[in-house]
Amino acid sequence: MTCKLLAVEQLSIGLPAYADRAQAVSKVSFSLGEGEILCVVGESGSGKSMIANSIMGLLSKELPVLGGRIELQGIDLLNQTPAQLRILRGSRMGMVFQEPMAALNPLMRIGDQIAEVFQVHGIACSQERVADLLRAVNLPDPEVLVRVYPHMLSGGQRQRVVIAMAIALEPSLLIADEPTTALDVTTQAQILKLIRDIQRRRNTGVLFITHDFGVVREIADRVIVMKDGELVEHGSADDVLERPLHDYTKKLLAAVPRPNMDAPRPRADRAILQASGLRKTYWRGSKEVAALNDISLDLRKGETIGLVGESGSGKSTLARTIVNLVTPDSGEIRFEGTDLRSLSRKQWKPFRKRIQFLFQDPFESLDPRRTVGDIISDGPIAHGTSAAEARAIAREKLQLVGLDPSAVVRWPHEFSGGQRQRIGIARALAMNAELLIADEPVSALDVSVQAQILDLLEGLRDKLGLSMLFITHDMRVAAQICDRIAVMKLGEIVEEAPARELLSNPQHPYTRMLIASVPGLAAGSVVGSAMETS
Amino acid sequence: MRSFIRRYPRMVIGASIILAVICLAIAAPILFPFSPWEMRGAPFEPPGSPGFILGSDALGRDIAAGLAHGTWVSLLIGGVSTLASLGIGISLGALAGYVGGRVDDAVMRFAEFFQTIPSFLLAILLVAIFRPSIFSIITAIALVSWPPVARVVRAEFLSLRKREFVQAAEVLGVSHFRIVWQTLLPNALPPVIVLGSLMVANAVLTESALSFLGLGDANWMSWGFLVGSGRSVIRIGWWISVLPGVAIVITVLGLNLLGEGLQTWLNPRLSKRDLP
Amino acid sequence: MSSNRLQAMPRLIGWRVLKMAAMVLAIVVVNFLLIHAAPGDPASAIAGQSGQADAEFMRQLREQFGLDKPLPLQLWIYIERVLTLDLGVSHRLQRPILTVIFERLPATLLLTGTAFLIALASGVALGVRAARKPGGIADTLIMGGSLFFYATPLFLVGIVLVLVFGVWLNWLPTFGMETVDMPLQGIARATDIARHAVLPVITLAVFYSAVYVRLTRASMVEVSSYPFIKTARAKGASETRIRWVHMLRNALLPVITLAGIQAGHLVGGSILVETVFAWPGIGSLAFEALLARDYDLLLGIFLCTSVVVLTFNLLTDLVYLAFDPRVQAL
Repeated sequence: MTCKLLAVEQLSIGLPAYADRAQAVSKVSFSLGEGEILCVVGESGSGKSMIANSIMGLLSKELPVLGGRIELQGIDLLNQTPAQLRILRGSRMGMVFQEPMAALNPLMRIGDQIAEVFQVHGIACSQERVADLLRAVNLPDPEVLVRVYPHMLSGGQRQRVVIAMAIALEPSLLIADEPTTALDVTTQAQILKLIRDIQRRRNTGVLFITHDFGVVREIADRVIVMKDGELVEHGSADDVLERPLHDYTKKLLAAVPRPNMDAPRPRADRAILQASGLRKTYWRGSKEVAALNDISLDLRKGETIGLVGESGSGKSTLARTIVNLVTPDSGEIRFEGTDLRSLSRKQWKPFRKRIQFLFQDPFESLDPRRTVGDIISDGPIAHGTSAAEARAIAREKLQLVGLDPSAVVRWPHEFSGGQRQRIGIARALAMNAELLIADEPVSALDVSVQAQILDLLEGLRDKLGLSMLFITHDMRVAAQICDRIAVMKLGEIVEEAPARELLSNPQHPYTRMLIASVPGLAAGSVVGSAMETS
Repeated sequence: MRSFIRRYPRMVIGASIILAVICLAIAAPILFPFSPWEMRGAPFEPPGSPGFILGSDALGRDIAAGLAHGTWVSLLIGGVSTLASLGIGISLGALAGYVGGRVDDAVMRFAEFFQTIPSFLLAILLVAIFRPSIFSIITAIALVSWPPVARVVRAEFLSLRKREFVQAAEVLGVSHFRIVWQTLLPNALPPVIVLGSLMVANAVLTESALSFLGLGDANWMSWGFLVGSGRSVIRIGWWISVLPGVAIVITVLGLNLLGEGLQTWLNPRLSKRDLP
Repeated sequence: MSSNRLQAMPRLIGWRVLKMAAMVLAIVVVNFLLIHAAPGDPASAIAGQSGQADAEFMRQLREQFGLDKPLPLQLWIYIERVLTLDLGVSHRLQRPILTVIFERLPATLLLTGTAFLIALASGVALGVRAARKPGGIADTLIMGGSLFFYATPLFLVGIVLVLVFGVWLNWLPTFGMETVDMPLQGIARATDIARHAVLPVITLAVFYSAVYVRLTRASMVEVSSYPFIKTARAKGASETRIRWVHMLRNALLPVITLAGIQAGHLVGGSILVETVFAWPGIGSLAFEALLARDYDLLLGIFLCTSVVVLTFNLLTDLVYLAFDPRVQAL
């Protein structure tokens, strides 16, 4: 084993009185060697980010460290004065955050923000030094970039700038708190590679916080698994991923979405939804951006098509166009032969029953001021069902999605994310929809909840004979639930094929890049190992 | 109840003050069963003189009576003008935020116009030209104070329309009217309620300033009028101006506290950070 | 990229000036409507109560406004007159309105300008101090004070100051802008004006300072939770540096916006303050016009102060533009 860089012993962090448990982190111990990458994995609320913040001394006052030791190269971090800690931050340890879009001061030039790292540590800083750093994180045109403001950069570029600041003084410890969660999958792959490069080149120890086992496989030397503030498993990446000991780890690994290995379902002849020549452009400032560029799609009865693409690919616009939330500039949308585009709002109404939509964010998609019963009854009531009857429908649909019918009188905020997504499904199915447009329905959920919702959707689809258009950014999710996959890029469908065929034999270079970027695939199939363990 | 007081002390204090002011208005005709314009004794009696708890003015009128009767004007004008401007602001803001496009542009330009011009001067002009009366004062205050409401409601509507639960209602086939009435308005209301209580405070201030300049309704005793009438005799009787002024401060303070309290109460996201 | 912004500047400014012109035109229309919406004949409304003006004057007025012509034509005539800077004659002072206003404008600009700067500086400083430790002693005191002054009518502050510093302590003059019976020159005159200005300026500044304190504090507390503040901490930046370099600049953005909007209110405030202190500016001119029912003069004041306010708005927009690199179009 390499030389010890960071040692955390029996670390406990408290929570405010109103929280659901007493400690955010309880008695966690681990260590990190020089040049080693340690991944801390866990679902939301597991306390993994708090460990990172406690090392940096950046915990908020509501979260006091209750006990334990944190030692960085022999320095007892918990017993440093704020001034001493401030000097260590940036010089001995750097940190990269989850939200690159908000991590930079919007009113300060990139060059100044990087130079600030040197200034606050009393080190002279030349323009070349800043430019060198920008080059080190593979950013183009450093000379131009130093004069630019953050809003002119993409998320991936901003994350590179944050990394440049974190490594500016060559710290021996780099803490990365979900640094790729907010990024597209291809950008994620690049950032992961960058972090690995830096670690190798400079022998930096990296503490990498993530919720994604694919990312773990991609980058980790060693892994610790957190659950409800406790460390449940600790070992080398190979051991934890291939031979997990703890039930929770096994459950998490089994929940990682995997391609459907059943025999492909036969494709029906009758089309339920046909789109052709759809176009939609937006004006962004004085620039015209094509959200949809000549999109054609053919969804058969009972079929599930996955629409996979990165942010800005137009996949959500396409979904919203079909239900008339967005009006396309031109093109045709036919539902069982009827052209939906030519319909007035009144003529559209009967189709509202048959075409339904499932939204992404379970905390955003339910009106916080109305009861679950009222929310689910909305559709039936709008279409002329009496209130009492609609209430009965609501109870029935709640049962259908695996919730207790008594939920009708409760409020959305009383439910967890997964339960709320179930309520969303109940609402969409309240009028016996035939076509379900699902816009990233599981991407805001923890992996174990995600698996449950995917199972539910799959079950309902088979039971009710639903046709589905399933929008996702995650190729793994699409591979699990879809019969066919269409890959979107910059408003165009670049490739469409049966799911298995597309995965095993991608034709378009972008599809190939997308599949190659799926974390965990390159380093041997996460998919395969997950199946072995489950 | 006790924990409510501890969590929202400002709201409780503010609400108590306003309740007390309302009680004073109701009790005014009982406590002082005579016209506040009536001369009751010697002029310039200091506070505490027999017959004059709060002193008398240059014409021997009872300041305490004027103060109590004046409560009516402040509350009436503050309340009614706020209701009127809430009406204008909510309808225009909802229209702009829901319809969007050119309608939105037009409404917002209109609101911007009213917000940038010197609104107090416009109020003076309106009241002066249409002759000072309760009605013209209320109209003038309502006309110059609706733009913030319209802006807030519009902004809420715009952001709510992008929210998924509103799109969900649209996809379910819920009618425009129902979407606005049962989904958008209730969710847009909290900031409007907060704004409303602050607007009553502003209206009370504006009314007092108008009466101070001599633009009050001559049939109604008001605090601003008392302050203004005492201004020229400040060297002889400071209490004539200052005591009614204190009444204005207490009322406005109560309304502001109530508004701030409502804000922390209706928006728990802020409460942890902003409450001391 | 930043050069793009520089190139776009003239277009942006041109656009703003155009918008400002439209606003001025709208105010002219409002003025016209006010004249015509007034109860009774516009001429009598302008001349005050009909009894006060003689028949000849009324006839002159009617002719001047072309009251026999159709309304749109009258509007056109009115706009034309205003555009040629003819705001009419004050019937009370028997002098051109524009001349009277220009005579009084400097005093008001001195008063409001000084008060605005003091309010802004003290408000921002106190707001930053209060936000340093929300809930602390300094915060409680500062916020309590601002709450109090936010609720106090300007004219009451003025009267109390007159009472305390003028009548009881007799430290400062409380009437007018300079000592009339003793003609002074140079520095002596400036000192004299400054002494006269202390109380009116404080009166006007105190309220707006309270406004800026509240906004700055709220804004600082908000910004302190932004992720980039944590980034700065992770760099090892000191709390002082974070507060003044990272937080304040961002927190000032809403303050600048409000300062622009508040300009119109400052005019309203100056009417009250000038009335209390007999400060010879636009505000007391408005009060005199009000007493004399000289509505033509009042309308002229409304138009002119609006133009001043709009100009100030344009300035704050430009400051905002210089401050926030994200703004591409206003």
